Amino acid sequence: MKGILLIARSHLTTAFRERITLFWFLVFPMFLLVILTLIFANMGQEGEINFPVTLLNEETSGGMTDFAAIVEGVFEKAGEASHEGKEPLFTLTQPSPGEDMKTFLTNEKNELRLGRRAAVIVIPSGFNQALLERMMRPDSPPTTESTITVYTNEGNVASEMATSIIEQIFAGIDREILAQTGRFDEGRAVPIETLWVGKNGEEVSYVDFLLPGMILMGFFVTGLFGVPGSILFARDRRILRRYWVTPLTVPRYLAGFSLGQVGLCVIQFAFLYLLGRFAFGASISFAKPESLFFLILASITFLSFGFFIASIAKTANSGMAIANVLNMPMMFLGGLFFPIGGLPWLLKAIVFVNPLTYLAEGLRTSLGVQGETISSPLTIVVPLCWIAFCILVASLRLNWDVER
Amino acid sequence: MANTNGTMMRVTKLVKHYGEVHAVDGISFTIPHASVFTILGPNGAGKTTTLEILEGIRHPDSGEIEVFGVRLKRINRAVKERMGVLLQDGNFEPYLRVKEVMTLFASFFKSPLSVDEVLNKVALEEKMTAYIKTLSGGQKQRLAVGVALVNDPDLIFLDEPTTGLDPQARRNIWSIITDLKGQGKTIILTTHYMEEAEALSDHVCIMDHGAIIAEGSPRDLAARLGQETIIEFTSPDLSKNDLAPLAGCCKAIRVDGELVTVETEDLVPTMDHMLTWAKDHALSLKNMVVRQPNLEDVFLSLTGRRLRE
Repeated sequence: MKGILLIARSHLTTAFRERITLFWFLVFPMFLLVILTLIFANMGQEGEINFPVTLLNEETSGGMTDFAAIVEGVFEKAGEASHEGKEPLFTLTQPSPGEDMKTFLTNEKNELRLGRRAAVIVIPSGFNQALLERMMRPDSPPTTESTITVYTNEGNVASEMATSIIEQIFAGIDREILAQTGRFDEGRAVPIETLWVGKNGEEVSYVDFLLPGMILMGFFVTGLFGVPGSILFARDRRILRRYWVTPLTVPRYLAGFSLGQVGLCVIQFAFLYLLGRFAFGASISFAKPESLFFLILASITFLSFGFFIASIAKTANSGMAIANVLNMPMMFLGGLFFPIGGLPWLLKAIVFVNPLTYLAEGLRTSLGVQGETISSPLTIVVPLCWIAFCILVASLRLNWDVER
Repeated sequence: MANTNGTMMRVTKLVKHYGEVHAVDGISFTIPHASVFTILGPNGAGKTTTLEILEGIRHPDSGEIEVFGVRLKRINRAVKERMGVLLQDGNFEPYLRVKEVMTLFASFFKSPLSVDEVLNKVALEEKMTAYIKTLSGGQKQRLAVGVALVNDPDLIFLDEPTTGLDPQARRNIWSIITDLKGQGKTIILTTHYMEEAEALSDHVCIMDHGAIIAEGSPRDLAARLGQETIIEFTSPDLSKNDLAPLAGCCKAIRVDGELVTVETEDLVPTMDHMLTWAKDHALSLKNMVVRQPNLEDVFLSLTGRRLRE
């Protein structure tokens, strides 16, 4: 046991003392977290001219003062192409006649979480009467019935832009409503409540969305580069040979190496979590059994993935080349940094075989920062299949000594 | 420790093939307890493969190994607990410190020596906090020897322990080997240096093309060449015709570049003849050496090639 612990310690020690390793497993993920948070949490996206928006009008009273119909009409107009043939501002989705409102809203909020909607606007039942009463008594506080709810997804840049435009539109609607009633007054404006949509409708910031992805990216990079790098370099430089002339066996070495690798992941997690929490105000908590389970599953998946690469590479250099080739497509098509709902089919194929997709989904869902878009069992089964496949290939192919 | 008849290791009909290459071709030998057993041979002779099999890095295709009185097909963990190995081409993690490496390797054994004691033995106590990457070649090699000794082994493999070292570092390693021999350890040594083999070995086994071509003590092997004396000198641009007048006064003449080697069983007449010949032809016999045959001469006489060719 002492040997296993000392191998783990030497693996960790080496990683910390080797600057290039330290950069890739710790500095790079932290740097990326800082950069992405600074850029995408606050910036708009140029060139986005059409926003998919859902409008749900729950008001059924109608009558002379059908304010809900006015709001609906404005958005319907915004959803039509202009006479000049320009793209409409919104692509509007509304419930079909007879469709269950509650189910429709649930589905549309899910679409919003997936990035397929920029916003979901809900005009509540009783809106007309409540708004009328509020106009009569401008000092009265807004009520649930008098408030239009706009669900947005702060993790989505398009959603943030659409929200801003929607707020402008509501300002215009206010003017129209009040002009019709002859009571234009700031105090009588239509109350709007903006809600960021998480798993249960709670507020989710971009850093909360990004942080689990960055942690997974750290684990991924450590496994993808660290495992084959360490093993193949140690093998090619005849460092491992020295172990094999002692009573140390390959399984004991593997146990120590894997323990060290998991230790690296724990340190990565700690640094990224503390950075996200104290520098950017991340509020998610990983202290949930299912979240911890996905973190452990991810570290084991990428560890075995590293062994797989080590087993198919003849030399350390070819191992690094293979890792480089796999790195970008897997990282960017795993939903770590942004939702991957609207990708072309060819890229979707990569998404569907990519273990990162399932681990990112599983971890985010467990943390409540993303709704469930993939069947829950798949988020566990697919990584487990990868682990089994990688370990099988590695056990059959991985050479622990230089070939003669 | 050794078996009852004083044998530490017995190897019988050991075979290892790599495809069509017969790296080790049915060799057998016996290593006495508390001796230095040296395997000599040129590159590709099969000595490293033999050692790797005996060290447990590779498995033989066939053959039997008896070590510590136990017959085995391959080296197991129990045997590794009692043996120490200095590999020819092994390395250490460059970002670990000397003491960390020693502690790591000590942890692989059930009853290791104290790390400080071993570092003291290989004179590295002052370098115990130094990173491996900062060590000189000689210091690295002393560390490797220390690692090989950390379990206080009965059987020690030293694969070319002084290759690439400066004379001082080489002498340090020789001193360690001599001490180990004095402690009754059994050492299996490979080397390219004839003087090293002659100085340290009790028993020498010469390999070529995967087979053993001669075996015995350095003195016995040299004696196989008879009561010969070797005269060596250098002289540029000498052809075989130039040397023809010497043929009648010696047993054999070999030319290797500028080096001329003359073997004789009767030194005085041969020297007399050679000096007359040199004077008649106005030749200067530079770097002339008169010596007894060594293991290099034995190998040369057996194979027609030098060990380092």
